[in-house]
This record gives sequence, structure tokens and C-alpha cells, in this order.
Amino acid sequence: MASFDGFEYEVIVVGSGAGGGMATHVLTEAGIKVLLLEAGREYDPVTETPMFRQNHEAPLRGTSTSEKNFGYFDATVDGGWQVPGEPYTEAPDSRFMWWRARMLGGRTNHWGRLVPRFTAADFKPFSTDGVGTDWPVDYGEIAPWYDKCEALIGVCGDNPGLDDTPSSAEGVLLPPPKPRVMELLLKSACESLGIAAVPMRRAILTEPKDDRQACFWATPCGWGCAIGAAFQTTTSVIPWARQTGNLKIVTNAMVKEVHLDDSGKASGVTFVNRLNLENVRVDGDHIILAASACETARLLLNSKSEAFPTGLANSSGQVGRNLTDSLGAGVSGYIPALRDRPKYNEDGHTGNHLYVPWWDREGQKNGELNFSRGYHFEVGAQFSSPGMGIAGAVDGYGKQSKDHIRSNYGTYIGLSLRGEMLVSDDCYCEIDEDTVDQWGIPVLKFHWKWSEQELNQVAHGLEWGRKIIEAMGGVVNNPDRTADEAIEAGGQIIHEVGTTRMGNDPSTSVCNQWGQTWDVDNLYVMDGGVFVSNPHKNCTITILTLAMRNATRLAEQLIASRER
Amino acid sequence: MSKIYRAKMSRRESIRRLSAMTAVVMVGGVPVSCDTVEPEAPQAKGSPSAGHWPGIELEPITGPGYGTDPIVSAPTVPWSLTLNETQRDQVAVLSDLICPADERGPSATAVGVPDVIDEWVSAPYAGQQRDRVQIINGLQWLNDEAQLRFGSDFVGLTEEQRSAILDDIAYRSQYGIAELEQPARFFSRFRRLVFGAYFSSPEGIQDIGYVGNVPIAGDYPGPTDEAMEHIRQVASDLGLPPITEYVNQY
Repeated sequence: MASFDGFEYEVIVVGSGAGGGMATHVLTEAGIKVLLLEAGREYDPVTETPMFRQNHEAPLRGTSTSEKNFGYFDATVDGGWQVPGEPYTEAPDSRFMWWRARMLGGRTNHWGRLVPRFTAADFKPFSTDGVGTDWPVDYGEIAPWYDKCEALIGVCGDNPGLDDTPSSAEGVLLPPPKPRVMELLLKSACESLGIAAVPMRRAILTEPKDDRQACFWATPCGWGCAIGAAFQTTTSVIPWARQTGNLKIVTNAMVKEVHLDDSGKASGVTFVNRLNLENVRVDGDHIILAASACETARLLLNSKSEAFPTGLANSSGQVGRNLTDSLGAGVSGYIPALRDRPKYNEDGHTGNHLYVPWWDREGQKNGELNFSRGYHFEVGAQFSSPGMGIAGAVDGYGKQSKDHIRSNYGTYIGLSLRGEMLVSDDCYCEIDEDTVDQWGIPVLKFHWKWSEQELNQVAHGLEWGRKIIEAMGGVVNNPDRTADEAIEAGGQIIHEVGTTRMGNDPSTSVCNQWGQTWDVDNLYVMDGGVFVSNPHKNCTITILTLAMRNATRLAEQLIASRER
Repeated sequence: MSKIYRAKMSRRESIRRLSAMTAVVMVGGVPVSCDTVEPEAPQAKGSPSAGHWPGIELEPITGPGYGTDPIVSAPTVPWSLTLNETQRDQVAVLSDLICPADERGPSATAVGVPDVIDEWVSAPYAGQQRDRVQIINGLQWLNDEAQLRFGSDFVGLTEEQRSAILDDIAYRSQYGIAELEQPARFFSRFRRLVFGAYFSSPEGIQDIGYVGNVPIAGDYPGPTDEAMEHIRQVASDLGLPPITEYVNQY
């Protein structure tokens, strides 16, 4: 058994976000000792979250800056689109944005907590429409794990039984909050167009659970949640793992290389201690990488050896390939009929209470659409705490302008398209041999290009977004905007996955269905890298679920091998 | 805090051009004696002068920001304020013209908007520094324009005189008038900051009717009866399917 700093352990986990946090919880709960390496600093939401703060208490009224890209109060520590001293590069004509955090819990501290499940068709894209690659697992195998995972983290929502919304087992879900008036109007408008708006599933406790409190309907979830109502690993799986006594966490440990021994097994990792710049080598019998899809790919590509000259576990050449993000595009407008509407507390769980799932797989089956995968609309339409953008398009000055803002606030609606892009040879990351970060680690270079499929889907979404807003009696902003103008940059939706995909064939995939790399059997990937495709449903619930399933199997194997 | 103004135009060139337009006693905030021409009497309503955007360049603010890991539960502003007293006075006057007190809420200055503007233009971030250049130039343009039309700084004008100038730059349609484009864009940006700062202040939050950010035990109460009645009527007026309470499906 390996040891570090007097602590003996069986498994090294790299990364403490969704995948690493869940794997750590499962293993430590099963009695297995884990050394968890996190590149960022220690972070405690209980004491650090700015609960109940208002914009006027923050510098620049909380407005986004180059140092806090999602606003002053956003939970992200030492990160955002750039991490100081840790660049990434883009190939010519490629645009890619990579959100990172350097903190315990990673991006789970600020994520949207939107947790829709993949459907049976989502796991079998090739069998469904002849495009792409099927996953090595099907919905029937994963569904019980979704249930277990949802029950553990706490998910509010319901089972509307639509084609795009698989149901959870009875008793798993917590009740969703009531819709706000704008969402009710949207639902009615959608009905008039023959489509549905239903409760958004979110990882928010609407009832107390274990040592976590229920949501008290205040403070944006993106700032973090001191009471544990909004799921993040730092108020749940990581503290629980600590309580087992089976966990040692090393923060500020930026892992740069995974080592291979003569027998072809992973033997440990080297990390840079970010506080004193020392390289520290630690041994490990089993190594789980969950550093985020791109960071894990980078780590493997940077771990070169005689056996693996192009990067560890990369005999397939697929490490870094098959990179996808969700498609993003926005449609917005305002509803004149809602001017001066009655005011009430619309904070709710601070996210969208309703959303519009994908509605036209039938049309795609019948060849009526010029793109093959779905999207959904998230809804931004709440009377939230005013910020610096409130003046909108007001003209003039004086009382008239002031009254105009008062009347119009609460009439605005934004629909955010989140769609599935196809896996493409044009989208991948590789090591930029000319650039290293401040720790001396070679950085990633991103390659990115949208295909017609994506632009066609966004064009469809813009058209339907406008239809929905117009059905609400609304006026659409920028109605002539094209898909090319509206499509957001690759990576910008922060759903990047696929760089170490799983599969049934070692020559075309990096991992088997258990996240175990084909090339090195004691090396696992448990982050979004293992995704085979990127269905439009926000990826985190599936990262959590696969990590739970695959870490459970590993725990069972480790325990069985002890008893032998 | 001191700051350095650097006009793109030489002072002599600037004086020559302004003198050619009308009698000028102030240029770039500095008094200039005009020994041959008496200033024209201020008019109650003047017409906009030809383009005279000051083109002031500013030394960039290079101090530290709050960093990528500020203590968000105890916010502080690490940078110093940079507007001088004259500019602060002008910001105050302009802020209250944009956002005056009325029966529903106080004025911009009553809730500290000039402090927010000063904090904003003094911040070491790219967006705020762009705003700083635009705003310092805009404030100077207003003073120059006031001098050209009425022979006084903007702050010294009557209400009517102030309005006469603002009416020429307060509308987006004026972006299309070459000599007014820059002042109109300045005004639009400044107005956005003033209203943003006002409505995000505690008094502004109350004014606009935001009633959230309070903890609620139990279920989220959802819309009030009044709000439900209103939205049902809106849907009905639009000819949409009737709005009913959402029933969760399990």
C-alpha cells in the first residue's frame, strides 16, 4: 500500500469536482483509503459563500471583470476563462473558451445545477440516426444509477413523461418550486405552438436531506450555497468522505504526470506543489483521473514513456480527440403586456423553474429537419435583484426615463438554446509544444470548427425562440440575427466532454465502459472525458452518475481482492 | 488622486478652432483670455456646435484589482478614486438630471451614484478604463459646449440651458449626426451607469419593487393571487390557452 505524509491509501483521485468528488465518496464509504489531489486551494462554502449579499455591496456593483468573469460574487476561485499563469492556446481560425477553477470542489461550486437525464436514444446515437457512435452502455443499465445518484445529491423536478424527459423512479425526486408568472405565460405560449414547457430538474434540495438544509429561496446558486441546498461536492460528498477517516486531501497539488512501471501499470503521479513549486512524486496502486475532460487529456498527453510515446493510454490516438461542448445561442425580447406587472418575490431557487425540452425527434426521424440532434431552451425571466445593466435601451433622461425603466423591468425574457453538436474530427485538443504554464507544464492547444449541423440547429432554434416570444405577445431583440452571428464560442457553455471516450473497441476508444483505460488497467477516467457524445442535456448529472457506478465497481473489486 | 490630461490637439490648434466657431473663454478646463471678442450673451436655447470632441488621452490606471480570489463574503474596493472635485460636481449635476428625485424615489446623488461612477471610472479593468476615457472626454465636451453656447461651465448653466444641450445628445438617433455621435455615445454610456447605480442601491431596489433576497421557510410561495390574476388576464388577452396552476407529475 502506498503512503504519503504518514497516510496509507489504495487509490489516488486527481480532481475534486463532480467526478472526483463522487468517486472519492463512493470509495471512502466502502472503506477504501483515498489520497485526493486538488490543484486549487482549500475552499469551505459554509464560511466563504456571500449569502444574502447584494450587488451594491460589491465593487462595481458586482459587474463581471477580467478577474471575476461571472461577477464579483461568483464562487469561482482563481479561474474563469483564464487561470493566472496557466494559459491555453487556439489553433489559427479556432475559437475555444475553457473555464477552469482552482479550488476544492472545482466547478461544482458555481455550476447551474441543471440535471436533465440522457434518454435511451441519447446513449445510442448511431443506432438512432446513423450518425456518430453508440455508447457502450444503454439507458437500462444506467437508469438505476441515475436514480441512486439523484437520490443522493437531491434533485427537484417531476416526470412529465415526454420523449426527451426520462422518468426517475418513484420517490427519487423532490418537488419542484412553483413556476413564476413569466414561465406560466411561456408555458401557455408553448402550448399554443404545440410544444411543452415543464419543470427544470435541478440539484437543489426543496426539502431537507441528511445534514443539508432545504433551499430558502434566496442568494444565486452560482455564488455557492452555505446551507448545502444547491449541490456542490464541498458541502456533501467531500465532507462525508472526510468523516469516514479514509481520506486525505492535498490541495494546491497540480498533477503534471502519471508514471508507468515496467509491468505496464500506472505507479503514481508527480504533482507541483503550487505553494513552494516543488515537484512531489506519490505512489499509487490505482489512479483515477477526474481533473475535467480537457485537463485529464492534457495530463495523459503529457505523460509520455517508451511504451506510450504519444501519451499515456493513447494507443488509440483518441486522447484529446472527440471534444464537444453544448451549442449555445440566445434569443431575447420583452413582453409589453407585462409592463408594471404586480410585484412579488421571484427569486425562487434562482434558476429557471420551467424549461422547454426538445420536442421534435419525430420530425427528425421523418427527415423533416436539416440537423440530427436536439436542443432545449433554458428560460431567463425573473424579477431579479437589479444590476448595472438595468437601463437597457432607455433613451432620454429625467423622470420619463426613470419611469420607463421602472415599467419595463420584469418584462424581459431570454431563451438560452443548449444543443447537441456532433462529434467531429475538426474539434480536439492537443499539446502545444511551444507553450508551458507557470509550473513548466506544456499547455493545451484547441482546434475548433462548427459544421452545418450546428448552424442549422441554431437557425432552427432562433426561429422557434422568436416564435415563442412572439406568441407571448413579445417583441424580439435583433430579430434578423443569423445562426452564424448567434452561435456562441466552443467551450463557452462549459460542457466540454469526450476527450477520453469510452467504447467497446480499444482501437477507437480510450476507456472501456467502466472508465478503465484499455491500455493501463489500474488507470481510470471518471470525468466528462469518457462521454461518447454530448446530448444537449447538461452533462454534470451524467458525470456524477457514471462516476458513482464506476467507482462502485472499482470498490467492489478492491474489496473482493482483499478477501481473496 | 491626480491625473494627467493630454489633449490630442495642441492647445493652440484647439483654441484656434474653437475661436473660429464662437467666443471661447474655457478650453480643456483651462481659462483662456479672448482679447478681441466679447463672449456672446448666453442664449436660452442654442444649436449644437460643430464637432469638438476633446480627444483627451489618459495615463492608464495600472493599480491592482481585487484579484481572482477576493474575500467575497467581506467585499472591499482596493483601488483609489480618481475624479477631481470639479469632475465630481459635474457628475453629480449630470446624474441628477438623468435620475431626479420624484414621488417614487430619491435622486441619484441622494443614493451615492457619483461615488459609484468614481469607483467605476477608477477601476483598473479594461472595460472601466474605456468608460473612463469616454466619460472624462464627455464631461469636458459638455463644459466646452456649454462655453460655446452659453459662456459658462455646464454646472453653471440654468436648467433650460442644460436641457438644451442634453436634448441634443440624449437619444440614440443622434449617433447618426457626425458632430454629435461621440457626445451622444458618451451620454448613453453615462446614463446606463447612473441608472444601474441608482436602481441597484438599497433605495433603488425598493423603488423598483424587488422584494427578494429574504429567506423563506418551507415551499416557495410562487406568484401572489394578484400576480396570477394579472397573468391569466394577459394570456386571455393574447388569446393563449388558459393559465392554470402547474400540477407536478410523478
